[in-house]
Amino acid sequence: MTLLDDSTPDTATRELTVLGACPQDCPDTCAMVVTVRDGVAVDVAGSKEQPYTNGGLCVKVDNYLDKVYHPDRVLHPLRRTGPKGAGEFERITWDEAIAEIAARFTQVKEEHGPETIMPVSYLGTQGIINGLNVGDPFFNRLGATVAERTYCDSGSCTAYAMTIGDTAGVDPESLVHSKFILIWAANIMSTNLHLWPYIAEAKKRGAKVVVVDPVRTKTARQASQHIPIRPGTDGALALAMMHVIIEEGLTDDEYIAQYTIGYDELVERVQQYTPEWASEETGIPVETIRTLAREYATSQPSVIRIGVAVERHAGGGQTVRTLSCLPALVGAWRNPGGGILQLPLWAFPVNWPAFMHPELQTPGTQVVNQYLLGQALTGELELRTPLHALMVYNSNPVVVAPDQATLLEGLSREDLFTVVSEHFITDTARYADIVLPATTQLEQEDIMFSWGHLYATYNNPSIEPRGEAVPNTELFRRLAAAMGFDDDPIFTRTDQEMIAEAFDWSSPAMEGITVESLKEKGWARLSVPSPDEYAPHREGNFRTPSEKTEFLSSAAAGGNFVVPLFRQGSNDHQPGQPVDPLPHYIPPRENASADPDLASRYPLNLISPKSHAFINSSYANIEFHQKVQKPATLIINPDDAAERGIENGAVVRAFNDRGSVELLAKVDASTMPGVTVCYVGHCRSDALGLSTLSSLNPTRFADLGNAPTFSDTLIEVAPVGAGEA
Amino acid sequence: MAYVITEACIDAADKACREECPVDCIYEGDRMLYIHPDECVDCGKCVTACPNGAIASEYKLTAELEQFKDVAVEFFETFPQAEGGAEDVGPLGADHPVVASWPSGGAAG
Ligand code: SF4
Ligand code: SF4
Ligand code: SF4
Repeated sequence: MTLLDDSTPDTATRELTVLGACPQDCPDTCAMVVTVRDGVAVDVAGSKEQPYTNGGLCVKVDNYLDKVYHPDRVLHPLRRTGPKGAGEFERITWDEAIAEIAARFTQVKEEHGPETIMPVSYLGTQGIINGLNVGDPFFNRLGATVAERTYCDSGSCTAYAMTIGDTAGVDPESLVHSKFILIWAANIMSTNLHLWPYIAEAKKRGAKVVVVDPVRTKTARQASQHIPIRPGTDGALALAMMHVIIEEGLTDDEYIAQYTIGYDELVERVQQYTPEWASEETGIPVETIRTLAREYATSQPSVIRIGVAVERHAGGGQTVRTLSCLPALVGAWRNPGGGILQLPLWAFPVNWPAFMHPELQTPGTQVVNQYLLGQALTGELELRTPLHALMVYNSNPVVVAPDQATLLEGLSREDLFTVVSEHFITDTARYADIVLPATTQLEQEDIMFSWGHLYATYNNPSIEPRGEAVPNTELFRRLAAAMGFDDDPIFTRTDQEMIAEAFDWSSPAMEGITVESLKEKGWARLSVPSPDEYAPHREGNFRTPSEKTEFLSSAAAGGNFVVPLFRQGSNDHQPGQPVDPLPHYIPPRENASADPDLASRYPLNLISPKSHAFINSSYANIEFHQKVQKPATLIINPDDAAERGIENGAVVRAFNDRGSVELLAKVDASTMPGVTVCYVGHCRSDALGLSTLSSLNPTRFADLGNAPTFSDTLIEVAPVGAGEA
Repeated sequence: MAYVITEACIDAADKACREECPVDCIYEGDRMLYIHPDECVDCGKCVTACPNGAIASEYKLTAELEQFKDVAVEFFETFPQAEGGAEDVGPLGADHPVVASWPSGGAAG
């Protein structure tokens, strides 16, 4: 524990200040300062020293103590006493819980084979030791079905890596030097708040800030220009920008000649993508497209900031391919503040193999994508071996996975043994046979990468675990010992030993950074040039086979793939379908030209952006956050509302062939005609009709990296009559 | 809605909070500053910056300070030019009537 200012011994209370790190799956990874009085945390604030955090958190975590000390916290292991889903439990001891889980896993394994057990997890906490890969060694050794976790940026990562490699891209702090900032489908104010001051500074220095988004978000309102776009047609706009840039000779020919491959093929390919064609597709006027292309190309350095939304439709992968090609076309990479900002995570030399241990996997083990969990449990998805046991941690699939109705049917199976490790009895935990109490970030130690900036952060624990809660690392140590895996030192590593393995400390990025220095200072900027100088691709050096931007991608020859990081290190059963090596347009699946019949029945697009006050489903049960976020709402354009006789504030039913959800209508021109919006995360148990947004979302994948297609969804909306409601 | 500036700011108006706001949504009236209810992102950063404890979430206001919620909404209705960044807009030189007529030194008693 790091003590910054221990109060003098003769004062009545002992006050400590502990340096921590926000655990949420958010690009900002804020450095936190926790004040502890007599063993009780009394304040959680943003570090004033860490330049990116700059003294503030956000609405989600500024009130973190509401979560830590919430009366509903699960503090002891529980065993189900009522029917599945009823949420009736009795308290048991940890020894009983572990013994029962080990016995059931062993029994299932012996009777049906180990692949009938599957982990279900994502990024409820994203610390390196307790986060994404914490259960991987255990399930790899067990021989369990491999969980493919492609919720966020998987398609984007495949596309980005195919084009420029696993590079950090632009330093977000360099954005102050950008002359043109193109924010593409990201609501920075709600989901990447700490980037905004850099954008605002650039704007003050004369940069133009353009937001491409179907919704006039807070971010769009603060920009110089907002370009509303039909959901899922982003690729058309990006390709038409290329068309204009090439046609009007706005390219950086020297940069293209030296640091790219496939330019001639690209020129030929984008001939067809005229602004006139793109205008029809996107709903954006031709002149707006031309001006955007011209300004983007000629205001150097220009930067594109993409969030996770841009991949969430049938052609999401190719959209990110195109966007990743654009900076090289105009030579944006030549200067700090130019290029594309996707996932600076790639700058961190995280020692992933030490956390996944893929060598423990049985070659050929079955892989199941988590969106298909409902189908896998109900037999709709053909599996080599059906599933008999689940272990859920760091995730609440009932709310975040698509096709809620099918998933609930699967989780209700009496013969399914389900373990859930959680802070609260979530909508998923209600279906558990055993619930295990998990620690919050204040009660555990961890070390953090970031996917939004270039600082490593350390989370010192600040309070004792509440009740009998344990960190995920300890949970898997206990389970591994009970399963007899403790003959291998991988399964007996202490948290400290894991932290010591977190990074490749000998990598140039870690120069001058040690576990001790991180622990003591709380954070450290990676050893890379300053934001005023950082231009990693000024002279090419892309992390592709050719070391160039690959307009013509050599990796495409291997077919579609999911980065193994998102599938417990496995490279087996990759999707593998052929991929066109040049950027191209794939229209949305659920739209009028692709499926006129569907569109006639369900004429409205539904998009489901990230909430302001929740992180996915986290915080959706906390009263303060509920007040800020408001009840689950469907935003609908006044024209669409009038056509359906929907009044502001009325209860409406949003539905399609997959399901139906009752929501409060917000009639508002902030969304385009034809587009409805529902923010993600509300609890099913709070929902009007006991179903939430994910009931409407499709399970189908985007073109690359098995990305979700949550924004490729058509619905119809109807008022709920007084009799029905 | 959002965070709200209340009574304790009147005639103090030292602007310490403005420096801290990541989205520059704290606008200057005459005797007091006002948080734009639609621009505020509820981060809470201004709360700790204020030396007078004048700022709170609209959901954590005491009953007697509740009226400052309406004060903020009405202020920005009266001054629609106050949007898009307080620095560019500058001081508005006027207050909501409730604030304008607040007794001097009232906060200090
Ligand atoms: S959720 Fe994001 S912005 Fe909020 S405190 Fe955590 S890292 Fe910072
Ligand atoms: S809460 Fe945050 S966004 Fe709102 S006024 Fe205060 S500092 Fe600005
Ligand atoms: S810091 Fe407090 S007293 Fe000073 S201007 Fe802001 S709200 Fe008013």
